[in-house]
Amino acid sequence: MLRYQENNELHRNFHGSTDNAMRFVEKTCGQEALREVLRQTGRDVYKSIREKLARGDASELIEHLTWFYYRENAPFKLEAGENEIRFEVLECPAHKQMKKMGLEPAPFNCLQTEEVNAGMCEGTPWTSSVEHIAPGHCVQIFRKEPSK
Amino acid sequence: MIPSDHFVRFYNEVFKYLDKRGLLQAYFDDIGRYAAGRNLEKFRKGGLQAVYDYYLVIRKEENCELDMELKDGEYHQRMNKCPSLSKVLDNDASASPRYCLHCPGWTLPVYTAAGLYMVYDLMEPDQPHCESWLYDDPQRALAKYRELCKKIPAQRIKTNLPKSLLEE
Repeated sequence: MLRYQENNELHRNFHGSTDNAMRFVEKTCGQEALREVLRQTGRDVYKSIREKLARGDASELIEHLTWFYYRENAPFKLEAGENEIRFEVLECPAHKQMKKMGLEPAPFNCLQTEEVNAGMCEGTPWTSSVEHIAPGHCVQIFRKEPSK
Repeated sequence: MIPSDHFVRFYNEVFKYLDKRGLLQAYFDDIGRYAAGRNLEKFRKGGLQAVYDYYLVIRKEENCELDMELKDGEYHQRMNKCPSLSKVLDNDASASPRYCLHCPGWTLPVYTAAGLYMVYDLMEPDQPHCESWLYDDPQRALAKYRELCKKIPAQRIKTNLPKSLLEE
């Protein structure tokens, strides 16, 4: 079950605000600082997902990915196995919305996916990575260390 | 991707990080520039009506419990449940104690550039409600400011009225 239940209207322009916030932190504090804030967001805001991953339960992570990309009308493919989850996003809703707003995503915009996912996995048997296929098209991969 | 639904929880993490480094006000100024790029011309040309129209969209898209009234040269809004602070409080991460300041932080510079005057009652920073009044006549804003000063602690009030007027 999701910790944050969101069912109401969407304000998609917040994707532009996220990009703007990332640009400010990167410009004033550097890219490592930006990674730190994003990772902290993954670790602390998504504590519930992280704690379940630590117990070997990926259910909330899967629900989180599918629900929020579905809400934003993103085409995606999910392959979920016991030790690996592959979540392919065919058209990133954040990039799509920014294009609609006439904004160019920062060159480091995708760090939000990489680092928030890494934060969710911190201290758990899971690791995350992102394969970038094309602009707005990526595969988010979560792998669990096989049980010994 | 950080879902647009969860932007404010990321925003809150950014606030806490920047606040520790003395950069929060600089960030509010930056948000003001970003917002001005998207809204300033509309507010400058359309005045109070344009601000009212902007908040009609925000009220719907951000799921605000917001009373709005535009009447006789005054735009009054009362946020009964701010969705932004509500999400930040409903959060496994801690809330920035200065979270509410981002709102006047970005709106006041934009209103100043648009020739509008806001008087803000932030109320309690850990409760998701506030009240504000917007005018295109600085004397009416000054009258509202003085009225509020008699009723509530000064630290709750934010305004973009020029210092010269406040000190009159």
